[in-house]
Amino acid sequence: MRLEKCYFCSSTVYPGHGMMFVRNDSKIFRFCRSKCHAAFKHKRNPRKVRWTKAFRKAAGKEMIIFEKRRNVPVRYDRELMSTTVKAMKRISEIKAKRERIFYKNRMSGNKELEKADNIREIQRHIELVDSPSAKIKAQVAKIPEKTQRIEMDTS
Amino acid sequence: MIQLKTVLNVIDNSGALLAECIRVAHGGRYGGIGDPITVVVKKARPITNIPGQTSGSSGNPATKLAIRRGEVKKALIVRTRKETRRPDGRYIRFDDNACILLNNKLEPLGTRILGVVGSELRGKKWGKVVSLAPRVI
Repeated sequence: MRLEKCYFCSSTVYPGHGMMFVRNDSKIFRFCRSKCHAAFKHKRNPRKVRWTKAFRKAAGKEMIIFEKRRNVPVRYDRELMSTTVKAMKRISEIKAKRERIFYKNRMSGNKELEKADNIREIQRHIELVDSPSAKIKAQVAKIPEKTQRIEMDTS
Repeated sequence: MIQLKTVLNVIDNSGALLAECIRVAHGGRYGGIGDPITVVVKKARPITNIPGQTSGSSGNPATKLAIRRGEVKKALIVRTRKETRRPDGRYIRFDDNACILLNNKLEPLGTRILGVVGSELRGKKWGKVVSLAPRVI
């Protein structure tokens, strides 16, 4: 059994799923589902479609892990098997840790940006704010403008 | 899904380029990869060495064949655009509909096949075609 990667979204293609397309130059494209196949037929670029792995990696939204695929089948070896099983645990641990750090770094500046955004929104729509203190502040801020206008009208 | 009027690319060196299906041999509606059909040659490579035509028996096999436009020939479907289901459950689709020409004994007319061929041929006793093909997928 061999698990292939979808050409479009890079998810795993399990046996019996999806579709295989063979171009005339005998390049093989595997698709995990009709959604990916249809996108390919529309000539969409997977690096520009936001939900694909290719996009997320190209846009720095996901950690890039350089996995290597070996094409050489490994002979069954009891000891190798047991060490692999042990290593799998450790590898997933390290992976999770790295991912956590990556996510933290990626989201690090977000809180301040959000705060600044909120402040800007309140300033723009100050008349909608219900609390009296805010209204008074706004009136105080607006009074000089009004008086100026009246003067302009009368004169 | 090859049926009456389907135009197929001919991917052997028989001299034909395009062929139109006029009958699916097994009598069903559609033919798939590995089905023999009858075709009319719609477009053929021009026959170049006409000056030396006096010695018809001696030239190389390619000139002896000399497929012309309008000829009716047997052919074998080797690729289809319609996806086909493999026994392991996967579906496979090719870029175009393609065939190779056969003689009346259902042996390949050309001596070479240019391009990919579906591996369904293997199960249908087209071993010779498979061995001629550069790639079987």
